[in-house]
This record gives sequence, C-alpha cells and structure tokens, in this order.
Amino acid sequence: MFNGRRSGQGRQVAVLSHGFGTDQTAWTALRPWFEARFDVISFDLAGCGPQGAERYDFERHGALFGYADDLIDLLDECGVSQCTYIGHSMSGMIGALAAIARPDLFERLVLIGASPRYLDDVDYTGGFKPQDLEGLFQSMSANYQAWVAGFAPMVVGVDDSAVIADFSNTLFQMRPDIALNTSRTIFTSDLRGSAAQVAKPVHVIQAAVDVAVPVQVGQWLAKAIDGATLDVIDAAGHLPHMTAADAVIGILEQRLGGAAH
Amino acid sequence: MTRSDSDALAALCHFAQLASGADRVMAIDIEADGRATWAVSSPTLSFSGFNLARSGIFEHDWRGEPVEAAAFRLPSAILHALGGTPGSVLYIPSPSHGAPLSGLLLLWRHASAPAPMTQQVPMLAASVARLLSARREAAREVIVRNQFEDLFESVPAGIVLIDGDGVGAAINERAAELMACAPGRHRAAELAAPMRALRQRCDNHAELDQAYARQMGDVNFASKLNWTLGERTFEVDTHPVRGNGEHGRIWLFTDVTADLLMAAELRRLASSDPLTGVPNRRHFEECSAQIIAAREAQGHAVAVLMVDVDHFKKINDTHGHPVGDEVLKAVARRCREALRDRDLFARFGGEEFIALLSAPVIDEVPVAAERLRHAIAAEPITVAGVRIPVSISVGGAIGEALPGGDQPLLEELVARADEALYLAKTEGRNRVRMAEPVTA
Repeated sequence: MFNGRRSGQGRQVAVLSHGFGTDQTAWTALRPWFEARFDVISFDLAGCGPQGAERYDFERHGALFGYADDLIDLLDECGVSQCTYIGHSMSGMIGALAAIARPDLFERLVLIGASPRYLDDVDYTGGFKPQDLEGLFQSMSANYQAWVAGFAPMVVGVDDSAVIADFSNTLFQMRPDIALNTSRTIFTSDLRGSAAQVAKPVHVIQAAVDVAVPVQVGQWLAKAIDGATLDVIDAAGHLPHMTAADAVIGILEQRLGGAAH
Repeated sequence: MTRSDSDALAALCHFAQLASGADRVMAIDIEADGRATWAVSSPTLSFSGFNLARSGIFEHDWRGEPVEAAAFRLPSAILHALGGTPGSVLYIPSPSHGAPLSGLLLLWRHASAPAPMTQQVPMLAASVARLLSARREAAREVIVRNQFEDLFESVPAGIVLIDGDGVGAAINERAAELMACAPGRHRAAELAAPMRALRQRCDNHAELDQAYARQMGDVNFASKLNWTLGERTFEVDTHPVRGNGEHGRIWLFTDVTADLLMAAELRRLASSDPLTGVPNRRHFEECSAQIIAAREAQGHAVAVLMVDVDHFKKINDTHGHPVGDEVLKAVARRCREALRDRDLFARFGGEEFIALLSAPVIDEVPVAAERLRHAIAAEPITVAGVRIPVSISVGGAIGEALPGGDQPLLEELVARADEALYLAKTEGRNRVRMAEPVTA
C-alpha cells in the first residue's frame, strides 16, 4: 500500500520517512548504516514515488494529520510495536503528530530539517513571508517544469549535480497538482502547538544554511520539545542526508549508537 | 449550504457540549467508506479530511453512553484538536442522505462520570442528520451549478436558455455577442427583441420567418435551420428542454461557416481536373446525363465535340512535361472562352477534351467546332517566353434525344464524335470533322 521496503539485520525497527519532493530512494546513502543496526522500514508518502498519485486524497492529505494517520496505519499493518523514527522535512512533523496520537508506537524520533511553521511570526523566524509563498505557488502552477529547474538546485543548496538530478527526477515524478497541494499543505501548516506535546526523546538535525528551514527553526524546535538535542551540521542544503551523509551518520552514531542492537 | 445550516449545526454542537460537559463535540459528515469530508465542532476548529473506517467507532454498539476511549483509534487531527488523547468517547449515529456513517462525536479528556444531561444528547441525532443532509444537498447543488456554468460558457455554441416558467432566461457570451446584448440572466421577454433583430438581419430572413411562423404556439417545436448572416452561416437548433415547466426551451447557435466552405471546396475538388481547373470526366458524365434527361422530354438536339491536341507527345518531348502542362491549361482556357456559358466543357483524359452543346441549332455545331479550332491555331501559345504553335482536331456528333431510345444517347454521341475525330486526324489534323447524321 505504501510501496514499503523492509531490510536490515537489527531487531529494533527504524522507520525512514522521506520529505517533500523526494521518495524513499532519498535514504540510499544512509540505509546501509541503518541496515547494519536496525530492522529498517522505508516507504513512499502519499503523492510521492512511482504510484504516489493513487494514494493521494486531496482532503485527507490537505493537512499533515492525514500523513500521520497513514504512518500509524503503516506501523500497525507491519506489526511494529515500537520504532525509532527518522523523518526528513515534512516527515519531521508527521512523525511528531503520530507520536502524539500513538505514543506507544515510538521510542524516539530523529527530525532532519523539520519545521513546525514556515511563515515568520511575532518572535518566530520561519524563513518565509506570505508574499514569498504566493510567488512560490504561482510559479509552481504556471510552469511546473520550469519551477523544478529553479527549485531543485536551490533546495539542494550545494553544487552536487547527482543529488540535484535525483531530486529533480523525483519532483518531476509528482503530479503537478498534487505537488502544488502538498506544498500548500506544508508551507501553510502551523504545528508549533503540537511540538510541545511530543513526550519522547527527540534529536533534531539541522544544516547551518538551509533555504527551506533556517537554523533558527531547528533551535526553536529543540527548545520547544522537552529534552530534545540539536546538532547543526556545518554545511549548506535542505537534504543533508543526501549531500552530507557522513556528517549525518556521525551524529546518528553519537545519538543512536547506543540504542541500536 | 446556507449560512444558517452550518450555524445551526455549530449551535447544536455547542448545546451538546454544554449538556454533556464534553471537551469537544463534532458533527461529522461521514461517507459509507469512513471518509469524513466535512465537520463542524464546538469549540470551533478548522477541519481537514480524515478517515474513521479503522477507528473501531462504527463497530461499537453505542447505547448513548460514553465509553473508554483507549479501545478506539482516533485520527491524529482529532487528537490534535483535543490537545491529547481522550479519556472517553461517545458517538451518536445521525445517518444523513448520502453519508450513512455521519454522526455526533463527543470527546472527554478524562474518563470521569459524564454530566447527567449527556443522556439527552442522542435526541439531537434527528436534527443533526437533517441539517447534514441539507448541507450535503446544498453543496451538491453548488457543484452542479458550477459545472453547468462552466459548460454553458465553454461550449463553442451560442446558447439562449429559456427557463421552464417561460419568464427567466440565460444567455452565454457567444450568443450575447451575436445579439449585441449582455451575457447572463435576463427576463425571457427581454431577449425576444434581440433574437428577432438578429433573424431580420439574416439574408434568408423571409424563409426563416415563414418556417418559424408555422410553429408559433407549439411548445414541442424543434427545428434546425441555417441562418445566413452575410458571409457567416449559423446552424440554429431549437428544442424544448424538459425542466420544471412546459416553456423550457434552448436555442443553440453554431457557426457552420467553415464547415460549409469546406464541404463546397471538397465538392469542387471532387468534380474538377486539378491541372486545368475545368470539370473532370466524371463530373462531365454526371452533368451530361442530367442535361440529356431534361432534353429527352422536349425532343431537342444535343451535340458532342471531341477535342484532341495535335502532336501533343512531340510538344512534351521537345519542351518537357511542365511546358506540356502549361499548353494543356492554355488550350482549356481558350476553348472555355470560345464556348457559350451554358455549354459544358471538360477534360476527358490526357490531351483530350470534350464539350456538350445543349439545344443547339444544327447548323451552328460545325461553326462552334470551327471556333474552337481557330481559338487554338490562330495564335501560338507562349510558355516562359517560348512561342509554341499548337493546333487541335475536333470531331463532332449531333443527336436528337428521342424518348425510348434503346442506346444511351451520350455513349452513342461520344462514340460517333470519336470516329469523326479519328477522321480529322487522318485527314491531316488542325481541322473539324462532323459525323454523318444517323439514319433511322
């Protein structure tokens, strides 16, 4: 149903959930590290991956709650009683919402480049102003292909042509109307109220320079979630699990190394 | 949906919340597959779709009393709205039209004893169901209306739609442009004058007036007539629309100008010779048959002239085929000009042409044939600055269209004219030979 893939030698389950515009292939660089330590489950979010459009429901997935419900269904279907959850970008808050709804399913969460709110607010730096988002949605709907060509290198943030090509490919794979609706859902979300409700160990990983999620957002999250750790990678880009995998693995070793068995 | 329906649902939720002491009460529109597509809540919240199919709620045997919430899997949106997991939950089914799983959902943060008035809340079910049904129906109507408006303006036809009561009417942009009035809603009476004015502007208005006058007062009247407006032609289709009254009627204006031009062009292409532009043999045979059939009734004479360009192969060999083609075009043009308008002239094949002279005076046939010969021989044909002397031979045959003749006249005339042409050729070309009259 979610085009899921399960592999690895560990007993503990690790769930890898990708972010907007990618699919589960985004975990290729990190997957071997997880496979050596965990029972790894990855999947494609609704609207993403080869058959993503079939699972996308414009109403259900008009809010991140719909994705959180999908995640809970997936864990129940796979018979997972507890997992270590690694979510990138939009999947960061999806995991947080699911962990609030069903705390029993989650042992700890790793949030890479996650954001509870993208718009600036009083005493909050989200990185975007309303007119930025209107411009983004307009150029997406005017010419999706042209938009991807500009958006992909900006989000990747470093001159890594292989990653830019992969990211562009998975973006092109999305149906443009679904991509537009998904980005509206993400960029207009405000889940700051939920962040404080997460009662599980959380590790926030954040790149120092990220056009989608400024470093202040990572700092805000780590502060809002009781006991959360924050690791800032000294690199640029919104996809550090693809462009700075070694740095991410270093952090995972430190934060999860003791947990895996 | 009317504003008051959703307000009333919100008020019912609020009332249920006060009565039950629940932390959140939602009236939810839920389809048969468990999809919640709309909800109103007290306290208010913005709604995003979710699915309750696997929540366990619909499997439980509800008896109007809250039960422990741990047994149910509630969507994360609801938990978020509640600010955490509930202690107890109560579902009151209120099946609405088209959404059989709809109902009121009451949630308490803590599983304490509910307020005594809670047991009265299920009495709201019928009202909730009625309001949800009304909301669904209203939403459906909006969709249908939007779809209609989209269709109304996106079809390529002009449309005038008279309501069933005969009083109201709608006109789309294309029709409004034709009639020089504003698109949108009108009184039907206001549209009668511009429609009549348009008809009066048509070249065939007399014919149209007559056709429509016959149908005055017939509510079942249906017709498709072409309205000719200068160079443009509209096919105007009108028929009754069965709606909520007997006066419903639609007028569809479709611009068929391009179709008609295309059809005429196709007919022309099918009947003419592409090189010379004169009719081809097939067209000649069809027309001749008609002409002869008309003559037969009157017993008049008809004549056929067969024309052949002399030494045409030599012209081709000397100057090339493109020049040969130009010579054929010039021969066709000169012959056509040398004949009367009512004579039929066609390319018969190769360098052969044929003419049918209708109702000729017998003595004039050789004169006409000689006129053709002279038209070619008198002046060389100039192609790309080269003067080429050309001549033709002509064979003619005259016949009388007699009723009951046992051989089709045209075939006979063509055969005799061909023989005469052969003689003209053997006698030295550039001359006319008439076939001997047939002796009965």
